Amino acid sequence: MSTAIEIRDINKSYGNLQALDDINLDIEKGEFFGLLGPNGAGKSTLIGILGGLVHKDSGKITVLGNDIISDYRKTKKSLGIVPQEITFDPYFTVRETLEMHSGYFGIKDNSEKIDELLAALSLTDKADIGPRQLSGGMKRRLLIAKALVHDPEIIVLDEPTAGVDVELRNSLWDYVINLNKQGKTIILTTHYLEEAEALCDRIAIMNKGRIVKVDSKESLINSIDKKIIKIKFADAAHGLEEELVEIDFKLNDDRRQIEIETAKKDIDKILKKINALNLDIVDIDIESAKLEDVFIKLTNLGGDEHE
Amino acid sequence: MNNITFFSLVKREVARFSKVAIQTIFAPLISTGLYLIIFSYSFQNREVAGYGIPYIDFIVPGLIMMSLIQNSFANTSSSLIGAKYNGIIIDFLLAPFSYIELTLGFMIGGMVRGMVVGSVTYLVATFFYGGAVAHPLLALFFAFLVSSIFSLFGIVAGLWAEKFDHVSIFSNFFITPLTFLSGVFYSVKGLPGIWSEVSLFNPVFYMVDAVRFAFVGQSDITPVFSALIIGSLALLLLVVVTYLFKIGYKVKS
Repeated sequence: MSTAIEIRDINKSYGNLQALDDINLDIEKGEFFGLLGPNGAGKSTLIGILGGLVHKDSGKITVLGNDIISDYRKTKKSLGIVPQEITFDPYFTVRETLEMHSGYFGIKDNSEKIDELLAALSLTDKADIGPRQLSGGMKRRLLIAKALVHDPEIIVLDEPTAGVDVELRNSLWDYVINLNKQGKTIILTTHYLEEAEALCDRIAIMNKGRIVKVDSKESLINSIDKKIIKIKFADAAHGLEEELVEIDFKLNDDRRQIEIETAKKDIDKILKKINALNLDIVDIDIESAKLEDVFIKLTNLGGDEHE
Repeated sequence: MNNITFFSLVKREVARFSKVAIQTIFAPLISTGLYLIIFSYSFQNREVAGYGIPYIDFIVPGLIMMSLIQNSFANTSSSLIGAKYNGIIIDFLLAPFSYIELTLGFMIGGMVRGMVVGSVTYLVATFFYGGAVAHPLLALFFAFLVSSIFSLFGIVAGLWAEKFDHVSIFSNFFITPLTFLSGVFYSVKGLPGIWSEVSLFNPVFYMVDAVRFAFVGQSDITPVFSALIIGSLALLLLVVVTYLFKIGYKVKS
């Protein structure tokens, strides 16, 4: 696998605010990469620099081996960026907008691709109306279509599903997953951590302008030593308080369900203690940490654990 | 230069004003038509000193220039401030336009509108005077140059402006006074005292004077000198605007 995007020593400040602080990152070709972080972490600034919307103070970015400054025409053709803000050109219909964008990227007749995108994004019946008549979710889908109209190798989705309803969100993800399977590199920023957890191969977590962690999704989740044991009892359970001394747990009002958050190494000890009570157990479930736990932990650290 | 990329921008700019033609093409004709009616009626027997031609023949080239200037400027300035306001300015930044393509693409869009309104103004004016043009090719050449200058100037205004009000600062405080004081309605030669010399610092004077030469074969100063001034200004603005796009003036953070 070769590198799609290479980011080296990128710094950007707005006055006294250090928006990006020495960012280094490699994104491989064909990856589904997540860029996560709280508001103000610097995700959109980094994407803005990548797309030529924001000046960097220092550092270098290459896209498929081409420098974003000296070879900007090549890099822009390789990138399809869906911006976070909803924008639209009020003078042109949906189809006209997509035809115009195809032209911007040097494509003369692109009706086949445009029809494909309109269908994939459920905009076919809106093709000949102006964007003012589109709902918020439709306008966002038009933004996505605009970014994909030139069939870019690298697709950057900055909060693409905000305001898009669940059904269309799923169809959008099916389409993007398919693009990824075709070899396209996908970079996603989202506030929906479940989306990132379900879709991304690798994830970078940003906070306060720095990358605090980059790893595969599995390694990130495994880095949190947290298990949640949920046990359901046939009858009201007694004796738990005495047996599980020094262990934090939540017991339902009817005493028929217990939830214990613990480290991996203590699972065996806890289960043995409960077993010693000879309770009639009807169900046991052990949940692992979620990406959200990793996110909260790392962003609360305020960038102390950066690499 | 990528032809498809470049012409897509030109096409967009032309399509944008064509879609609102009542506002962009026909509305300017009303004001110019009124000027023609009022001046042809009020000064029908008057001749301009030093020219020996009817007043209406004298002002037609100036009125055509005025339409051309205002509409070339309006097209590029409103397109850019509109793009900034709607957020679609990023479409031009994310697409693989070279800086000169952006400059020429917006400029030609403004020129087309200026030339369309200028041409229709000329057609309307033929009802008020004979329609004679002494040097038609020269008239076209100067019209192209002038519309390019004000299209470029409109790009500067559109990039600089942060709201629509800011664009009107340019048109109300620069373009309108400079145009009205450029000799559209009078001969600068006939101005008293120092004012004829002061007019020489007004670049629009050279544009109106050169086009008047192309129309009636007479001018206040030699058209070659005017051509030099206008050509230099067009070239300077072309370089400045291309540089502004290169540095992302007020569009990149």
